[in-house]
Amino acid sequence: MSVFRTHKTIADRSASDRARHKKKIEKAIKEGIHDIVAEESIIGQDGKKKIRIPVRGIKQYKFVYGQGNGSKGVGSAQGKDIKKGQVIKKADKQQAGQPGGEPGKEKGEEYYDVEVTLDELAKYLFEDLNLPDLQKKHSDSVYAERIKRKGYRSQGIRVRLSKKETLKNKIRRQKKSEKIGTYDPESDERFPFHADDLKYKHIDVKKKPITNAVIFFIMDVSGSMSKAKKFLARSFFFLLYQFIRYKYDTVDLVFISHTTEGKEVSEDDFFKKASTGGTYISSGLTKELEIVEKRYSPSAWNIYSFHCSDGENWREDNPKAIDAMKKVIGLSQMSAYIQVNPAGDHIYGQEMTEVFTPLECDKFKLIKITEKEDIWPQFTKLFGGKANV
Amino acid sequence: MSDWSLSQLKEWDDKICEVAKGYGLDWFPIDYEVCDYYEMIGHMSYHGMPSHFNHWSYGKSFERTHFMYNAGASGLPYELIINSDPSIAYLMRQNELFLQILIMAHCVGHSDFFKNNRCFKDTDPKNVVSRMRNAKKRIQGYVENTEIGIDKVEKFIDNLEAIAFQTNRYGIPRKSRKEIKASEIERYNKLKDVGINLDQSQLENKLLRPDYDLFAFFQEYGRNRFKDWQLDILDIMHRESLYFIPQIKTKILNEGWASFWHYKILHDLNLEDKFHIPFLKLHNAVVRPHIGGLNPYHIGFYIFQKIERELGLEACFEVREIHDDVSACRIFLEEEDIRELNIFSYVRNKGGEIQISEVADEEDWKVIKQDMLKSIGVGSIPQIYVERIEKDGSLILKHEYDGRDLDLEHAEKVVDHVKDMWKDDVRLFTILEDEVWEI
Repeated sequence: MSVFRTHKTIADRSASDRARHKKKIEKAIKEGIHDIVAEESIIGQDGKKKIRIPVRGIKQYKFVYGQGNGSKGVGSAQGKDIKKGQVIKKADKQQAGQPGGEPGKEKGEEYYDVEVTLDELAKYLFEDLNLPDLQKKHSDSVYAERIKRKGYRSQGIRVRLSKKETLKNKIRRQKKSEKIGTYDPESDERFPFHADDLKYKHIDVKKKPITNAVIFFIMDVSGSMSKAKKFLARSFFFLLYQFIRYKYDTVDLVFISHTTEGKEVSEDDFFKKASTGGTYISSGLTKELEIVEKRYSPSAWNIYSFHCSDGENWREDNPKAIDAMKKVIGLSQMSAYIQVNPAGDHIYGQEMTEVFTPLECDKFKLIKITEKEDIWPQFTKLFGGKANV
Repeated sequence: MSDWSLSQLKEWDDKICEVAKGYGLDWFPIDYEVCDYYEMIGHMSYHGMPSHFNHWSYGKSFERTHFMYNAGASGLPYELIINSDPSIAYLMRQNELFLQILIMAHCVGHSDFFKNNRCFKDTDPKNVVSRMRNAKKRIQGYVENTEIGIDKVEKFIDNLEAIAFQTNRYGIPRKSRKEIKASEIERYNKLKDVGINLDQSQLENKLLRPDYDLFAFFQEYGRNRFKDWQLDILDIMHRESLYFIPQIKTKILNEGWASFWHYKILHDLNLEDKFHIPFLKLHNAVVRPHIGGLNPYHIGFYIFQKIERELGLEACFEVREIHDDVSACRIFLEEEDIRELNIFSYVRNKGGEIQISEVADEEDWKVIKQDMLKSIGVGSIPQIYVERIEKDGSLILKHEYDGRDLDLEHAEKVVDHVKDMWKDDVRLFTILEDEVWEI
């Protein structure tokens, strides 16, 4: 009666429309970057790891009825116990109660996840950015071997025999023989393989010098560094790490937290543990200098230093901080002081950005972040890209 | 892994067709395509059309469905069948045999509905597949044309998608400017014969009457504003809107009819228990009310069962032929039905709170019915029409207000899309909180 067909595969019919759609969301990803970065752990991820990014959907507009206050609708229910006046969906607390809340998730906005690898994410984000003064230092003794397929050869070892190419050659020869009449396909005679048919995959081993980078993340963890401030710092550090990782083969991370004394800590402790106490900005920097001397010779390593605090320092430490920062700038490819300070916080005494202002140069930048939305523009400023792309 | 073979599907299909024929169902031949879930999502993104023009929004549609499916937020629809002759339906490879049997019986119901319901008489099912294939080729040609290119084509389709379905909803023939002019002149002359002389100079102003078909309007009045390729895309998307409107108008009846028949046919097939029990389970899940919404399967199945019970099977066939959702619900849903279906009206309060405003009691069931009739079928889409073109070329659009306010954020963006096409100013008038509102 009816006709049945097992589906003749139309090779992934929506592929081109998806590619086109993807282009549109790349922009959305850049805009929504601050939502992603807070969630991701910095270490222990290679570029292939897939992460799901919530993007604001590329919205399409049509004439539709409003769903606002007072609008009506019709529905049904399974149970019989519905009553007039009954509330079947409670008011959204965020919308009704406190102002602010999570911005961007207003009603009617379409959110959905797009899956990208960290590598792809880095590509979207960092294409237009450049690392200044990228010297690509490398220690001569360290090479990485990269194995690449490179065509076919007629000689090789057995395991690299390419059955496909070999068979293709045999078929080619067979067709030729049929044409010139030396082989009759109708006959029972076999048409055997010939030594000339054999093809082997060729593999090329390339040696490539490894470029190394080490990133120092230094953060003030004293009492004044609130959760909100750490959140901003973490987001910014995530971008820095992904960016530098994108440009280098291997990247080492060093986390230093400090109050009045610097300490090397794990990533987890770095972001989660708070300490009480005062603040010596210099202490974190001194710790970095110490570690560089021990483990990361500036002649072999590209050093990046990022120091983050809320801008407060005990006044007597300022001269020491300037001194230490000068040294750090001297041996780093790039360094920056990042002041996270959500609007409204009062700073006692002189802000660190003011203290460090005389040091500002191509290799040392001062960054101020007061809210999530600053992160991406400030980040692009740091690396000379187009802000707000 | 599937637990069936193609020959089993064929055997069951033969049995289904035999039962359906016995009842007098009259459907297009059906071509079933067996595919995997990934291909299924692909076909769904293009409304099941085997061939359809490309646009990024279909890529988006794919990503969304794929995401929802993987996230477990929604299953895939069991059936996907298009209104064509022959009908094309898709069967997912991983579905179990009992499910395929149910789907095939369900598809027979749909195909019969497409073939016989009056709303579909102008959809040209014989040629729809080749028409869409052709449209795809032409649009691909514009994309590849170095003078046009993908950006322009995409932009134009974006603009038209924003006004999708703003076309002739009720099959009332639209009069072109030329036809209106001819009939006006005829009227003038008739009046002249009886001694009344009208001012001929006012004739020009009367030629554009409120025009409810935006696509046809743009095709007629935009001839000097649009390039040939744009007029062609206008035509393609106009036809597509017209093709899908009958399905919007009959969602409840169409799904109801298909469910009514899969239920009947599978009953008559005397399935053994291992098929019958999962079938009943699934059937009940399909026709169950969606809490807080209206499930077309639920309401449609109920309507046809009620008609069969009260008026006989013959009457069911008549309803599937002459009715759409609004007319059928108006005639067949009475107080006890609204109560039985447990339908209520609700109102949205501040902060997204939803509160039941009417339940089906003696007093309020009529309010609920009216609210329901407004929101089903094409009633779910606001209607916008062309009021006039001003001397400076600006276009005046109006919203046919029925008590429901437009979503202004959307409306503003749509007007921007129309401006982008029309090149002159575009203004839209609607009513908001009982006051005239201009966008």
